[in-house]
Amino acid sequence: MRRSLTFFWRIHLSVMLGVAVATAVLTGALLVGDSVRDSLRDLTLDRLGEIDHALVSERFFRAGLARDIEAAGDEFTVVPAVTLTGSAVHAKGGARASRVRILGVDSRFENLFEMEMPNLARRGSATPFVANESLRRELNARVGDAILLSFEPPGGIHRESLFGRDEVSESIQTVRVRLTGVLPDRGMGRFGLRARQDVPLNAFVSLPVLQETLGLPARVNTLLASKGTQDAGDPGPGLSRAATLDDLGLSTRVEADHFAVESTQFFLKPHVADTILGLADGWGMPRLAILTYLANTIRVGERVLPYSTIAAMDAGRVGMLRLADGSGAPVPGEGEVLLNAWAAKDLHAVTGDAVDVAYFEVGPKEALKTRRVTFRLAGVVAMEGLGADSLLTPEFPGLHDAEDMHAWDPPFPVDLKRIRPVDEAYWDAYRAAPKAIVSAATGQRLWRSRFGNFTSIRIGPLPGEDVRRSAGRFRAGLREALSPEAAGLVFQPVREHGLAAASGSTNFSLLFSGFSLFLIVSAALLVGLLFRLGVEQRSDEVGVLMASGFTVAAIRRRFMGEAIWLAGLGGLGGLGGGLAYGWIMIAGLRTWWVPAVGTTELALHVSGFSLAAGYLISQLVVLLSIRMTVRRLGRMPVRALLSGTLYVASADGGRRVRAYALGSLGLAAACLAGAANAGREASMALFFGCGACLLISGLGLLSMWFRGRQHATAMGIWRMGVRNSARNPGRSLLCASLIACACFVVVAVGAHRRADVTGDALNSRTSGGGGFQLVAETDSPLYHDLNTEDGRFELGFSGEDADILDRARVLPFRVLPGEDVSCLNLYRPRDPRVLGVPEAMIRRGGFSFDRLLDEVEDPWTLLTRRLESDVIPAFGDVNSVTWILHKKLGDDIPMRTDTGEIVRLRLVGLLKNSIFQSELLVSERNFTAHFPDRSGYGYFLVETDRTRELGALLERRLQDAGLDAMPTPARLARFRTVENTYLSTFQTLGGLGVLLGTFGLGIVMVRNVVERRAELAALRTMGFRRLLLSGLLFTENGFLMLAGMVIGGVSAVVTTVPHSTVGELPWGSLLATLFAIFGAGLAAGAVGIFVALRIPLLPALKREGA
Amino acid sequence: MTLRAERVSKHYGDVSVLRAVSFEMARGQSAAIVGPSGSGKSTLLHVLGTLDQPSSGRVEIDGRDPYTLKEKDLARFRNRGIGFVFQDHHLLPQYTVLENVLIPTLAFRDGGRDAPDRARALIERVGLAHRIDHRPAALSGGERQRVAVARALVNRPSLLLCDEPTGSLDRARANEVGDLLFELHTQEETILIGVTHSLEMAARFERRLELREGTCVEV
Repeated sequence: MRRSLTFFWRIHLSVMLGVAVATAVLTGALLVGDSVRDSLRDLTLDRLGEIDHALVSERFFRAGLARDIEAAGDEFTVVPAVTLTGSAVHAKGGARASRVRILGVDSRFENLFEMEMPNLARRGSATPFVANESLRRELNARVGDAILLSFEPPGGIHRESLFGRDEVSESIQTVRVRLTGVLPDRGMGRFGLRARQDVPLNAFVSLPVLQETLGLPARVNTLLASKGTQDAGDPGPGLSRAATLDDLGLSTRVEADHFAVESTQFFLKPHVADTILGLADGWGMPRLAILTYLANTIRVGERVLPYSTIAAMDAGRVGMLRLADGSGAPVPGEGEVLLNAWAAKDLHAVTGDAVDVAYFEVGPKEALKTRRVTFRLAGVVAMEGLGADSLLTPEFPGLHDAEDMHAWDPPFPVDLKRIRPVDEAYWDAYRAAPKAIVSAATGQRLWRSRFGNFTSIRIGPLPGEDVRRSAGRFRAGLREALSPEAAGLVFQPVREHGLAAASGSTNFSLLFSGFSLFLIVSAALLVGLLFRLGVEQRSDEVGVLMASGFTVAAIRRRFMGEAIWLAGLGGLGGLGGGLAYGWIMIAGLRTWWVPAVGTTELALHVSGFSLAAGYLISQLVVLLSIRMTVRRLGRMPVRALLSGTLYVASADGGRRVRAYALGSLGLAAACLAGAANAGREASMALFFGCGACLLISGLGLLSMWFRGRQHATAMGIWRMGVRNSARNPGRSLLCASLIACACFVVVAVGAHRRADVTGDALNSRTSGGGGFQLVAETDSPLYHDLNTEDGRFELGFSGEDADILDRARVLPFRVLPGEDVSCLNLYRPRDPRVLGVPEAMIRRGGFSFDRLLDEVEDPWTLLTRRLESDVIPAFGDVNSVTWILHKKLGDDIPMRTDTGEIVRLRLVGLLKNSIFQSELLVSERNFTAHFPDRSGYGYFLVETDRTRELGALLERRLQDAGLDAMPTPARLARFRTVENTYLSTFQTLGGLGVLLGTFGLGIVMVRNVVERRAELAALRTMGFRRLLLSGLLFTENGFLMLAGMVIGGVSAVVTTVPHSTVGELPWGSLLATLFAIFGAGLAAGAVGIFVALRIPLLPALKREGA
Repeated sequence: MTLRAERVSKHYGDVSVLRAVSFEMARGQSAAIVGPSGSGKSTLLHVLGTLDQPSSGRVEIDGRDPYTLKEKDLARFRNRGIGFVFQDHHLLPQYTVLENVLIPTLAFRDGGRDAPDRARALIERVGLAHRIDHRPAALSGGERQRVAVARALVNRPSLLLCDEPTGSLDRARANEVGDLLFELHTQEETILIGVTHSLEMAARFERRLELREGTCVEV
């Protein structure tokens, strides 16, 4: 065997090269998957340092909670920090960076990373800050430069409530800092809790300095936990033990005869209020739930009281309210009101009078609407107890600490000129004590909001128990009854989630193996072809062996033995090739194809498993291919073998080929029918299946043609060339198969390439941009309507801007921050970003849908459908849902609400190639119901005919809010770039297949000429010139190319039809690609023919004839 | 039609295969070229058939030296004027008998509309009308050689060159093919030159040219 291996070294070397190619391609594809996965894992570990769990809250809590959790004994090191999102502007240069993470950290944070943080201690008046390299680069800053950091300061009271601060000056805080150091984009510099492969823009500030700036000393909104030991489990139980009511946003105030539970956010949330009331009832403690609101005016006839608080409570029911005459006050019914004696006197009101109350109602986008309601005066209460109790009104900044009413600085508009001396006197005597009282039911009906239903709950002590003791017991009981999760305090296992997410939204091993499959098959076919040529070259040897008594089985074993050696050695070489292939692919993804992965930090990772799997699988494929060749040995008579003939078509073979061809055709039709009705992911699988079947079928039909009799009524030189391709059907079929496989990949991939949307299509409501020209996002939410004059004024726009703004329509969306679910994120997202779709958008409609759960006339109304209580209808983009979230229409995606409950977002519609690929969409109504803590609007779609000017204007005026505006085509192009880059990658693989195909074709061409040189010499004796012979061979070569291209191309086009209409296919680029392939194939063939015809032909005549 | 070889020599490097070979033949004549293996018989046939240019000397066909023609004209000259029959028939396996016979008519576009008729007539004359749609694999050795003869004559050449045309056939089949060759040679009045080892076959030619160490002697 060794002699055979060395004697036929040329053909064996080519076989080994083929095996090496197959092994290299498969191993390389697996290594690409390993590398992407392991690189993401490395990035995850790098950005998290020692952090295992993280808690990030919308609300601030005690920094001491970190220490208390450590003390709870769960073996965790817990580091407190402040994390905010904002924007940064170079004070002099003007360079701007949005989505900057502003991190307040101290030395404990350093300990989580094996890095040293440059000194953040304040020196002089300048606040030092450290940027990571990416932020420094974005700002084009140097150490010592002044930078303006803008962010939304945390507010205790919800900004969208009447008592919340929503002016731009209040909702955006800007601090001037000085760059004192730069961290590299690794380790601490890369710190981030969200799984994303790109480098975040981090700005580090000293924790105490940031707390001081925020006016929240010793308070934080982030805890970072690191396991002390490997066995440490979850810091959640420690948090549960250590958290206080203060951490949960609740306070208690003990008075002489009662204690009150209030919220630091002004309103008690319903589930919290229910818990408090339930606990009090359970313990038999008397309780009174109070909702205090502000009346702009209380009017009786012509007399008016300005700016008075009004309490909704059922105090009379528990005998806690007395009338002026000393009797118990009645419980006001629906439409009734009680006035305190001071108010009644001032209004000259008597029982039975009509009392008009005017108050503000906060509408969408902070629009304040004045509502009026008329009550009947049911009684006048005495100026004692609850009748003059200023504590019924919780504290809120701007009012509570005002010396007099003229010093009020409330977040809502007040006309201080209306305040009279008597009002100031009341303020001096009773502060914000409510002047009117309505029933709890009336109050709930009028003033209950998504922020809560009570402002405080008063609880009396147990009979015979000191109020302080009762309050203490109640606090402990309430703390036990309320979980930190319900208050939004949840430790997330960020390391575990990050590592799980590093497995990627896309399995690159499968992706590259899938697209390399045809290349691997091509390589295996080539190996089979080359081995076949080698065996054919030795057909006389086979004949001699058979004539000498060797059995066919023994001869097959002999050839298979050689094949195993060749495959084994070639495969080993292929492993080296695989490493090179993987390295090139990773280098490509890091450079040429970087838009596909969005990071330049991928590195080649080699796993023994992938090397072994690639080697063994390619060995199997290649040996199967060779086995099919060797299996045919022995079907020829010895005499034929001795004369050099190895293969002839058998009738059985013909029937089998026909069965394969027709069977595959049927199967392809079934796959196509299935793909039309299947889900997107299943249909893609069917796409491959259908493609493979069509290929097999097409090649089978070609084989039938090769094997059939081609009756020619007229002969021509071209026809002669075409028919010459049938001279060796098996060999020709293999060549056509190589080309067909490569063309299939090139065309199938190319058919999915999308062109940029331009012109009229851009303005179409059914386009990916939905007819919007601009999409904008802010770092700090906006609370005012850009479509109204008032809103623009509040946001800082001037009258000069009206010209541009009047011609635009802006639709604002609420934003629940989360992970990007588009192809821009390589990690597998867990918590998708969610947008709250405004009613105006639902009414307007637009965009195209791939599928809907229910076919309705206006798809957007599906978002308003009522489903089960814990289910919210949602839309997602079909690409993101299918390929990144790996979900389908009708599937649920669980989300944690602000109250710690789990709701399910049900996918009721899938948008088609839209700008909403990074997020999921729910209705604003559902958004605010389930995520009430999220305030304002951070995502905007704009219809305008002055895209560029408006974008620039918005960015200029809303710079502090970190607004970034982008034309919708540019947003779509970002997604398309990723898609098209992947396609380029896979087309490159297809191109490699074409190379293999043309290489095989060239070899076959040379081999054919060598084998047929006597025949060609004979043709020369008949007057066929060299040029004519070249034409003949060229035609033969071209026909095989063309046949392969048509079979591969048609298979690919037919299978893409379920995904895009024929008209949508990029015919220009496809045809150009095919033309290029054809040209390259012909050129390769021409080289082969040129080389082959340089072999002298006449000696063939002499040897065989003389 | 005349054929004239005048001091034709051919050497490959240092090896001299033909040395000053001279002879002349007229229309309707036939000659056998005989000699031991390696004596240059096939080389002489190729030189006469315009396939291999002589190193020196001159070949004239109808008073014209074909080697002075351009490649295209030389190919046309060979296509129209010369027919070859080899020991190995060199039929194209993918074509039928008729198509194989027609192949020479495809070399130039003016092969003639009557080519298929002519081919059918020749196939009939070589006794293979019943095999006209068969492929070479389905034919016997003798039948294949008869197809090769028909193919050589399809363009009505005036010079028919045969290189061991019966060398791979048994005696009976060899006689059949020999009869056919001479019959057609007579009918078409071609110049027939055959290379053969067979004395029996050589005896059927009018003249015998013997090659010995590259020189030609008429015996």
